[in-house]
Amino acid sequence: MVFSSLTFLFLYLPLTLLVYFLSPLRWRNFILLAVSLLFYGWGEPVYIVIMFLSIAIDYTHGLLVEKYRDNDRKARWFVAQSVIFNLLLLGFFKYGTFFAENLYALTGLQIPQHIQVLGLTIPLWGVPLPIGISFYTFQTMSYTIDVYRKDAPVQRSVVDFGTFVTMFPQLIAGPIVQYKTVAAELVRRVHSSENFAVGARRFCVGLAKKVLLANSIGALWDECLAAQGAGTLTVLGGWLGLIAYGFQIYFDFSGYSDMAIGLGRIFGFYFDENFAHPYCADSVGSFWRRWHMSLTSWFRDYLYIPLGGNRGGTAKTIRNLIIVWFCTGFWHGASWNFVLWGLYFAAWLILERYVLRNVLEKTPAAVKHLYTLIVVFVGWGLFAIVDLRQCGDYLAACFGAAPLWSAADLFRLASYAVTLTALVIAATPLGQRLWARLPAKADRVATPILMAASLVVCTAYLVDGSYNPFLYFRF
Amino acid sequence: MSKRYARAITAIFCLFLGGLMVWQLLLPDRERSDVENRTLQQRPVLTLSGVLDGSFMEDVESYVQDQFPLRDQWTGLKARAEQLIGKRLFNNIYLCEDETLISKVDPPADGLEETNLGYIAQLAGKTDVPVYLGLIPSAAEVWRDKLPYGAESWDQNAYLAQAAETGLPLIDFAGALTAHASEPIFYRTDHHWTSLGAFYGANALLDSLGREPLKAEDFTPETASEDFNGTLYSQSGIHSLTPDTMEYWVEEDGLTVTSWRSGSPEPAQLYDRSYLTEKDKYSSFLGGNQPLCVIRNENARDGGKLLLIRDSYSDALAPFLAQSFAEVHLLDLRYYRLPAAQYAAENGIDAICAVYSVPNFITDRNLVFLAQ
Repeated sequence: MVFSSLTFLFLYLPLTLLVYFLSPLRWRNFILLAVSLLFYGWGEPVYIVIMFLSIAIDYTHGLLVEKYRDNDRKARWFVAQSVIFNLLLLGFFKYGTFFAENLYALTGLQIPQHIQVLGLTIPLWGVPLPIGISFYTFQTMSYTIDVYRKDAPVQRSVVDFGTFVTMFPQLIAGPIVQYKTVAAELVRRVHSSENFAVGARRFCVGLAKKVLLANSIGALWDECLAAQGAGTLTVLGGWLGLIAYGFQIYFDFSGYSDMAIGLGRIFGFYFDENFAHPYCADSVGSFWRRWHMSLTSWFRDYLYIPLGGNRGGTAKTIRNLIIVWFCTGFWHGASWNFVLWGLYFAAWLILERYVLRNVLEKTPAAVKHLYTLIVVFVGWGLFAIVDLRQCGDYLAACFGAAPLWSAADLFRLASYAVTLTALVIAATPLGQRLWARLPAKADRVATPILMAASLVVCTAYLVDGSYNPFLYFRF
Repeated sequence: MSKRYARAITAIFCLFLGGLMVWQLLLPDRERSDVENRTLQQRPVLTLSGVLDGSFMEDVESYVQDQFPLRDQWTGLKARAEQLIGKRLFNNIYLCEDETLISKVDPPADGLEETNLGYIAQLAGKTDVPVYLGLIPSAAEVWRDKLPYGAESWDQNAYLAQAAETGLPLIDFAGALTAHASEPIFYRTDHHWTSLGAFYGANALLDSLGREPLKAEDFTPETASEDFNGTLYSQSGIHSLTPDTMEYWVEEDGLTVTSWRSGSPEPAQLYDRSYLTEKDKYSSFLGGNQPLCVIRNENARDGGKLLLIRDSYSDALAPFLAQSFAEVHLLDLRYYRLPAAQYAAENGIDAICAVYSVPNFITDRNLVFLAQ
């Protein structure tokens, strides 16, 4: 189930809120666990098993780390077990097919897709990806590590721990919530009408970002990609497509994070922010401090710093950056273009750190913004097009291997002019700044009106999206 | 934020989501949607096997979507919002000048346009009856200058030139329609041609077969409906246009229509007026899709038997052709699976015309049966 669906908005969410707020405080974690499992199992019921397994393993390993706190070797061994288990889970479900295919391409060795054990057929690769697995494996991994590092207290209630792992607001698309940030709230949190109101408002903002902004501009990206397929892509069309995709992924993802943060707040949880106007960054480094912050900080805390960070001299820092960005790229998807995308950013970050730093300091702000945007949006080309050859052709078109523009581009520009303007404004802090300047009275009036309007218009778009006319068109 | 204010905000949010949920649960389920021309999902029954294989969840999602309160109004609201922000393309339909909706034609997939021409040529090789190919360009080509500036649509004229290279005798529908492009030859809210368009089409066909054209002054058009909202109306979600007017030109007297809807012949009507009270008004021509239909006219001007390999454009066309031919047979390859060549031989057919609109022809996967 996704948040931007009629089933979620007009069946699951109202019922969940009703049951949750009608039940006594001490039951609420259990309720949250139960509805989250329902949410998770909605698309693929079998995979609830993985969820139970994940909860059981990390819960017991947290306890074991705590129990053997005085025996550091043992404690470390249990941390390692938990990390290995999570990585195997991720490796099997997310990267199995990738590994099998590349092994075959490199060595000709063919791993069978199934094996028979005791009359049972066990798949080895090619299994469908359980949703959210990249997020919850990272969350649970950080839990055992935090317990070992004494950054978080051990969780003795399996229900409370299960609630943390499965919590539906951030289950399938983040933000990656580190256990230590919600440990206290799992035990005691405030349910108030103010939290509910703030959360609901945030949810509406996220919903509008996803449904009205991301979905509409996504259609432009599809058109540009189709133009490439038809051989009619132009330089202008190419950039229009990259811009469209960049906006789509930003508003899709940050909209989802907004909805997650808002829903969390309704239930009394304070999740950390995940985005901070990334397209206003004036360097690639700054972009990554503003984009998907929960992932970047996860890699910083649990990979980059343990590797030694930047404290081991230039060569080691470069090595660490390459490792971290290889992993960041690979985390986004099991295919080479994502690896390339990660390394592409590693290259820019290394360049910025060692070569461009002095140049950038003297560069005017506008040029720095433009430079950052070009690097990032070309990066989206690598990210969006899985087939490397097609990706190369697309980017070549952007850089001049195509006619400059066509009438079709102008049609697209005219069709999306208003949307694009709205996206540019929404990507900057301008709206927030204006909002903050509103007199308190105007804010009080505007909030409910805008919330209601966003709910109504989003509903119209969602109902239309499901609008599936079977027409007497074919004959 | 004061407590009262926070409660008010909370109430708005909960009332909207919960209110629509309750409304939907209380609303009696609709069986079908006339606007979309399909049956709607009914309330699913909870079963263990349905949950385990996920079909229950899928049904719930379709149920919530299909039975959503005020469904058509929500769609209209979206179309209005899109219009407001400058969109001209709505679910692959262009909103054009003169309150006209025109369906965008996408490039064909899998080389189907090439393959289908081949099947017609194969039919011509299997029978002694002359085979004509009649491809009707859609409004997106004939009315291309009505499209918004820069709007793309696949080049149907180039395709007609390609069709000419097959060497098959062609019916020049494109020429006839283009010559009358300033007249209402297509509906504004439906993808079909109007009776006027079909009249010009019939003359193009008769011309190709070396027959005298029909004269417009011999007909007295009857207004069948002034409230026709067609397929493009439904598909685009734009519901604010003036409805189309639908006309019947050919008089029913003297024509006998036989339909094979259920495998055996039964008497039918040239115009099934029961459709005029429904959404799908175009189906009143010959009563819509069927495997086989024959129109007989004892007083036909020229006589002879014509076989049309049809799509729905032929339903408006055939009544005109029955003025000239004693028998017009309409055969639909989607439902009629015996070889067309054999049918022509058994029924003493004098000419076979494969008449298709270009968008249908380049996407149809049933022409393979002609090669049998």
